[in-house]
Amino acid sequence: MNVFQFKRCGSLLSVIALMTSVAAQQWQAPTAMRRLANGITVVVSEDHSAPTFGVCVSYGIGFRLEQEGRTGFAHLFEHMMFEGTPNAPKGVLDRVIEGGGGLNNGDTRYDYTEYIETAPVSALDPVLWIEADRMKTLDFSRKNLENQRNVVEEEVRVNVLNRPYGLFFAIDLPGKAFDTYPNAHNFYGDFKDLDTAKIEDVQKFYEQYYAPNNAVLAIVGDVQPDDVFAKVDKYFAAIAARDTPRRANVDEPPQKSERRSTETDKLAKVPALAIGYRMPPRHSPDALAGAVTGELLHNGQASRLYQALVKEKQVALSVDGGLNWPLGTPYEFNGPTLMTSFVVYPPNVSEDQLLAAYDSTVKELIDKGPSQQDLDRIVAKMRSDWYDQLEIPISRASALSHAVLFDGNFDRVYQIPGDLAKVTPAQIRAFAAKYLVSTNRTIMNRVPAQREVQAEKNGGGGQ
Amino acid sequence: MIKTKRIAIAILFFVSFSFAQKEVPMPTDLPPYGAERPLRPPSVHSAKLDNGLTVWLVSEPGFPKVAFTVAVQGGFAADPADLPGISELLSKTIDQGTKARTAKQIAQELQAAGGDLNASSKKDFIEVSTAVLASKMDAGIAVLSDILQNATFPDAEVALAKRNLSDSLRQSESEPSFLARRALAKVLFGDHPYHVTTPTQESVAAATSAGLRRIFTQRFRPDQVILVAVGDLDEARMMELVKAKFGAWKALGEPPIPVPTRPSSTPEHAVFVVARPGSVQTTLELGSFGPLRGDPDYEATEVANAIYGGTFSSRLVSNIREDKGYTYSPSSNLNTYRRAGALVTHADVRNEVTAPTLNEINYELNRLATTTPTDEELTKAKRYLVGSEAIQLQTRTALSGQLASLWVDGLPPEQISIYGQKVSNTTTTEVEAASKKYFPAFRTAIVAVGEERVIRDELAPFGIPVKTLQ
Repeated sequence: MNVFQFKRCGSLLSVIALMTSVAAQQWQAPTAMRRLANGITVVVSEDHSAPTFGVCVSYGIGFRLEQEGRTGFAHLFEHMMFEGTPNAPKGVLDRVIEGGGGLNNGDTRYDYTEYIETAPVSALDPVLWIEADRMKTLDFSRKNLENQRNVVEEEVRVNVLNRPYGLFFAIDLPGKAFDTYPNAHNFYGDFKDLDTAKIEDVQKFYEQYYAPNNAVLAIVGDVQPDDVFAKVDKYFAAIAARDTPRRANVDEPPQKSERRSTETDKLAKVPALAIGYRMPPRHSPDALAGAVTGELLHNGQASRLYQALVKEKQVALSVDGGLNWPLGTPYEFNGPTLMTSFVVYPPNVSEDQLLAAYDSTVKELIDKGPSQQDLDRIVAKMRSDWYDQLEIPISRASALSHAVLFDGNFDRVYQIPGDLAKVTPAQIRAFAAKYLVSTNRTIMNRVPAQREVQAEKNGGGGQ
Repeated sequence: MIKTKRIAIAILFFVSFSFAQKEVPMPTDLPPYGAERPLRPPSVHSAKLDNGLTVWLVSEPGFPKVAFTVAVQGGFAADPADLPGISELLSKTIDQGTKARTAKQIAQELQAAGGDLNASSKKDFIEVSTAVLASKMDAGIAVLSDILQNATFPDAEVALAKRNLSDSLRQSESEPSFLARRALAKVLFGDHPYHVTTPTQESVAAATSAGLRRIFTQRFRPDQVILVAVGDLDEARMMELVKAKFGAWKALGEPPIPVPTRPSSTPEHAVFVVARPGSVQTTLELGSFGPLRGDPDYEATEVANAIYGGTFSSRLVSNIREDKGYTYSPSSNLNTYRRAGALVTHADVRNEVTAPTLNEINYELNRLATTTPTDEELTKAKRYLVGSEAIQLQTRTALSGQLASLWVDGLPPEQISIYGQKVSNTTTTEVEAASKKYFPAFRTAIVAVGEERVIRDELAPFGIPVKTLQ
């Protein structure tokens, strides 16, 4: 039986579908930008597919600029942004956003700290009010600092100390690959630094970096730009601009030789290797070739490393990585970064065997480069992945705000798919030959402590 | 294990907070919420091919991607008793070769279309999904249809997948959340087929290519499968494509596998310890039975859960995170399967606050079960659930997955809007009834993963049995 029911009439829809399919090669959402007198930049992108919105307020401060002796402070501070203000005490923010049917979060990265909310459009005014309120001042309370210090330390325990591998490929690897404090320090924070952070530090950090002129507010969703600009003006215009510190030099002295180390892991049951190559700056002509090379090597089951290490030579269990991985996309960074590979491998394979297989995969790329067909394939995947980023209002808002923070405009967000299509096989080959060399890399091997004991315990398997 | 890029290792520095106990008044100049704009329920065009394949299509023009989700009835609960969890090996090898394509060709053709294949086993079904560029959806559906009808499970690929699954199982066994989840299912479901959450080393070792092909033939038959497509597609054209690619598919195997019965027993109110030497935290996971998605008190239970621990401004998070600072990551969820519902509370806490945390969790469970929530709590929970449904369905992939899972549970696509209406209409009396029925602390089984000596010392004063799980 053929049950064929149209729940809504489809004739008009097919015409629209046809038009958009043609336009799909260079998809771009209507997006507008304005800067208020106090320096806050506002970006609005329309998406009327659902009666919701996503907002992202990004501040130009991240791990990279935290002071020495205050490791982990940018992130601890981020927690304090949720602890209330004199006007809206602790608890109000969440009641307003969740009571409006929404969700909120924040995250801290090397070059920005962002605050995100998504909700039905009926909550737009209260959400903007909340963001403006915490841009005016905070409740600088010792009790809240103590509470959040505990919460952050639990966060470090759950993500690092109580977890196999403890994110060593994200925290320890940059520590060894870079030589200067901004890029090398433990961004989650040493407990001794977290323990000595004072409320005065919180206040000073806020005054230095949380100014409207150091912020970009992006909104994506079922909204009209003029309406949003008017609302932002209403809630944010009275916040005064402040002087922000001159951006410190975060450049690295050149790496001269390969760096290798081995550590033990008391929770891991199989070994893992992390390899980090230093990458060119985001604005360098090599940067996009680097992004593509990273994905060619690491993106999914079709990737070269997966095919070579997991499938053909069977010396690895899993491969992951890429440029600026895992703390961001290959396009969003504003200082020294790595192309990282994280490879989990079976206990009966040696580090040298694994590395030899890895090196021959890289060498093949340097010697022969990708074919045009290889390149077209990964570029299609990267375009598709980037569209995934732009599909969700809150993540499109996030991408728009980072672009404006780094470049002063959002053009790049929509140019990435087109720019990727211009990368040539020769560029990939030249990039690999220049950057994927042993003198430019750091290798960390992480092996289970007491491997024999662990293996014995698990020999029985099952429950 | 670490396969899904950017999702598996999305290191979100999660913050949020709340304060339900001593609520301060709202600021006087806070603007009110605006007029509600109703969620437009997806317009689902449903069809059934002559061979019984169910097809649900949603045309959402304007954004250049199409998401496909295929659900096949029969997951972990349908696995042979001597091969528990073998569906996971089947889902890991289904894309490792067909009569026409090698594993590498499958991966490359999908990548050229902008996609990846995601296949995973749940308790009731196996899900296969991908999202591709709309301009390349013909290529995407060609690969998908080949895999679903012609997977061959080549010997060499199965042997490799077995080795890797064995090692990654060992790796998972070092993760406290994996151990807690596995233990809780065993404690809650006992001998019921829902106790399986993962394969075992023995079942992986015993699996063969021929065995996987047999299970594949039995379950992958068109009358037990739904194909959902959401995105920039023309429904009539997509329907033609589906007929061309799936029309010749015929059921070959034995009759469809039976649906499990609803578990009736109550879990034992005891602490079940999973020893994990070297732990600096105890992972607590408490579980009790809850309603099914189709039960009349399902929505009221979701509202109750949102008040208890399901949101950041919930009572539990306010208490053990924001007030006490015991934990970074408390949560509670109502998990539903085709024939069971489970309420699960989760918290990772530093060793020395294991007992105080359990005390507060018990308090919050019993407080919900014995007292009436405030009007603000009720309103907030209802708005949150309705709003978060709209937010969760923002992506084509999420919508296609949600529609497929409704079909698995025997529910219609309209359930998406029915759910929102029922949540909005839930009364205080209904929430109280659901809270009393499902939330009392004595109904929970308690799993604790960590240092055994610490857990035993900490939890002794509660006076309930403490048992070690092997």
